[in-house]
Amino acid sequence: MATTEKVDLYKGNKKEYAATPKPAVVEIGPAVYLSISGRGAPGGNAFSDAIGALYGVAFTVKMTRKFAGKRDYAVCKLEALWPNLDWNDTTPDREHWVWQLVIRTPKFVAAKDVSQAIETLMKRGKGAAVQRVELQSLSEGLCVQALHVGPYEDEGKTMATMRAFAERQGLRIAGTHHEIYLSDPRRVAASKLKTILRGPVMKAEG
Amino acid sequence: MRTVTLHDYKRRMLRVLVHIQQHLDESLQLEELAGLACFSPCHFHRVFKGMVGESVKEYVRRLRLERAASQLKLGSASVVDIALGSGYDSHEAFTRTFKTAFGTAPSQYRLARRVELASTPSGVHFHEPMTVRFRTLRRGGNMKVEIKQLKPMHVAFMRHVGPYAEVGKAWEKFLTVMGKEGYLGGNPMMLGICHDDPEVTPPAKLRYDACLTVGEDFGPRGDIGAQTVAGGAYAVTTHTGPYNQLGRTYAEFLGQWMPRSGRELRNAPCFEVYVNDPHDTDPEELLTDIYAPLQEVAKGARE
Repeated sequence: MATTEKVDLYKGNKKEYAATPKPAVVEIGPAVYLSISGRGAPGGNAFSDAIGALYGVAFTVKMTRKFAGKRDYAVCKLEALWPNLDWNDTTPDREHWVWQLVIRTPKFVAAKDVSQAIETLMKRGKGAAVQRVELQSLSEGLCVQALHVGPYEDEGKTMATMRAFAERQGLRIAGTHHEIYLSDPRRVAASKLKTILRGPVMKAEG
Repeated sequence: MRTVTLHDYKRRMLRVLVHIQQHLDESLQLEELAGLACFSPCHFHRVFKGMVGESVKEYVRRLRLERAASQLKLGSASVVDIALGSGYDSHEAFTRTFKTAFGTAPSQYRLARRVELASTPSGVHFHEPMTVRFRTLRRGGNMKVEIKQLKPMHVAFMRHVGPYAEVGKAWEKFLTVMGKEGYLGGNPMMLGICHDDPEVTPPAKLRYDACLTVGEDFGPRGDIGAQTVAGGAYAVTTHTGPYNQLGRTYAEFLGQWMPRSGRELRNAPCFEVYVNDPHDTDPEELLTDIYAPLQEVAKGARE
């Protein structure tokens, strides 16, 4: 029965996560995320701590609800928003990169579930970073999206293809650069990493 | 002190095979066989399977059947006596197994002119002079293995007793309780320890520990226990694919790679680390790191 089945947001919103190397226009509905923001080079200490904190909260919320017999769901993959990553390649030094790491979460997860999970984790001494995790809604609307296969450093090429594609459609990428990490970089060869790149668009002027 | 060679492994395993051949009427316990050749009893079933290509149980059963076949051909004992002498309780059970192995019932076999024996991985047959094809040049000989030095790890665990195919249920329960208590923060490792050989222990009695790394202060509670996974040297390889195919990788690792490695297994259980999440990973892409404990190499052994 649909109501007792485990919720999988990626399967349930298939169109939003279907990407190929060829860019496409997709409509992204409003969505809720667990989120943590910070600054520093990707892969650096602050970044790794934030990932650990985010997953810690995500799994603690899930398991606490599951234990209480509430509706079960799959914890989604890691995604990140890069507010100062410029679509025109004038990005600052990696050390100054600002990021917002997010994990898509069902709408039925409440702020109270999150604060309770943070409290539990703090009691276990799992680091102060968990206190920065919060629920956030995003409504990206119309986006250009493509699948990037290869090292993260080579994303520029795919982004350029996306930008050109958007222009041909009479659109301009204007929103925050969004990445969805389908592969585990610790386990998958850099040349095979799969990442969905997403850029919210608006109608180009004139 | 010198490092152990492939030749040593073969010589020792040969000792086991000769012993089996000469004691087919005895119960042939795994511990005893392992002891004969100084193999750690923890790992012996996997080393045997990897090197010989059959499990100890399959191997012994086949040799007993082949001996029965030659008794049928060359002797005059009744089928029932031969059945009982081969370790079967009844004529029917013996006939059924015999038919599967030789394609014909014992009574017909006795009358037939000549029956070819099916080929076996090791090439060993009951009535032929023993020449063994050890399988150490197979795939496992070339697997990617890393040697790691581990610190002892404190783990919380829930024991599952039953078929290995059902350990998923134990994990669900275990992770839910641990997750609620906040133990899934800080990227803990998820380990599995199999305590029994599925060839010997009946499925309903197989013991498996689902483990999660925790701090030293963790105390047992309810059906969740605490234990320490021994530190020291480990050989580590990665199994890619469904969990139900782990047995094959274990056999290749311990029975094909290990004999060529110059290293010796330590008498502590292997453990496996689950790298990705079976809930959102295609079974073919599941990654499991297998840790096999090694004896320390004696100082100066390399010189």
